[in-house]
Amino acid sequence: MREAFYLLFSGDPETWGIIGRSLRFSVFSTLFSLVPGIPVGVALASRDFRLRRSLAAVVNALTALPTVVVGLIVYSLISRSGPLGALGFLYAPAGIVMGQTLLAFPIVASLSYAGLTKLDPRFRETLVTLGARRLSRLVATLREARALLVAALVTAFGRVTGEVGVCMMLGGNIRFATRTMTTAIALQTSQGEFDRAMSLGLVLLLIALAINLVIHSLAPHEN
Amino acid sequence: MRTESGAALFEAEGLELRFGEQLAFAVPRLLVEEGERLALLGPNGSGKTTVLKAMGGLLAPCAGSLRFMGEPVLSSRRLRERCVYMHQHPYILAGTVAYNVTFGCRSRHVGREQGEARAREAMRILGLEGFGRRRSRALSGGESQRVALARALAAGADVLLLDEPTASADADSRDLILEALRARARTGATLIFSTHDPGLARQLATRVILLDRGSVADDRPVDRAEAAS
Repeated sequence: MREAFYLLFSGDPETWGIIGRSLRFSVFSTLFSLVPGIPVGVALASRDFRLRRSLAAVVNALTALPTVVVGLIVYSLISRSGPLGALGFLYAPAGIVMGQTLLAFPIVASLSYAGLTKLDPRFRETLVTLGARRLSRLVATLREARALLVAALVTAFGRVTGEVGVCMMLGGNIRFATRTMTTAIALQTSQGEFDRAMSLGLVLLLIALAINLVIHSLAPHEN
Repeated sequence: MRTESGAALFEAEGLELRFGEQLAFAVPRLLVEEGERLALLGPNGSGKTTVLKAMGGLLAPCAGSLRFMGEPVLSSRRLRERCVYMHQHPYILAGTVAYNVTFGCRSRHVGREQGEARAREAMRILGLEGFGRRRSRALSGGESQRVALARALAAGADVLLLDEPTASADADSRDLILEALRARARTGATLIFSTHDPGLARQLATRVILLDRGSVADDRPVDRAEAAS
């Protein structure tokens, strides 16, 4: 355990390189997941169409998608014989980010939807009666529900930071290139290098703790 | 007073409004003219809020028609430009009071300078000077009602649908709200408000409709001389 702390606080370049890379992949994939995730959540919450409930149930179910299944799907797309094989994403950071984006998307969409449906009905009526049109309604809604949306974002970030299946299958755990905290922990444990694995495990634990603190601090400000 | 098109401001024909499965309000015919100060008086559950929401285009009639200046309320562009509905417990948007009061100006595409001038004036009338930077969540019930009314006035509404406009207000807030409404009425605005307080109806209205279990029990003008005495 002492060695684990030493690796962290001595600024061991490989350990911190892995931490930085993991966080970078997670930040990018979480941000990319917002692009389809929030519009889908808003559409499900604000529009009344025939398949709305079924779609919401599907999006909700996708939040529990096993990471190896996501890895498998994306692998079939970006492997050399796949339709996107020419892009060279397999065993590269772009492949991991792509897989993690797919993993984060249903979380962002589902939590946005759940949060937006909890908004007070008077809120929508207030926007309508004040003459807000579609764009200003959307902006006001995102502003009103920003705490819930940040909570969705943070939850998605936590999910992708802690996953191992996508990183292993699509990144290949290549040293100094695609090795992340989770794949490094798996490898180093199998090699008996518990101290390095433990130092990375501590970082993951701290991230999980920070995420929970953020979510709890946002909860009382829900609308 | 008739509108330019010759139609009544609001015209209901065979109107039925439901709240879930239950019939909340029904009236064979009802007219409201431009510039009227109409009080909907009645106990809880008499249909006051339901009628106001329907007039504000927030609730679809389940039978009959409800028109604003000759157009169905749900699709009337003029209703969106002229009318604001205010809840009994108004919803104040997250952010500052200034953000709230200028919201209607922004959504109705009023120029920035004009919108800010309107907001300042509305806040002055309602005793909200110095409230601009205050967070909306820190407002009391009476302050929220004043902010919501300031928001409606700044948005340029000249048809105000007010659900119990002084319900959460203390004596000072109530006086400010009543004075602001009288001032707006003097400019020719139409006020339609619900209340269960006959005193408020007498003070502010030129016509009172008494509602009872979802129907019109009485509809008469207010004798201003009698009301003043």
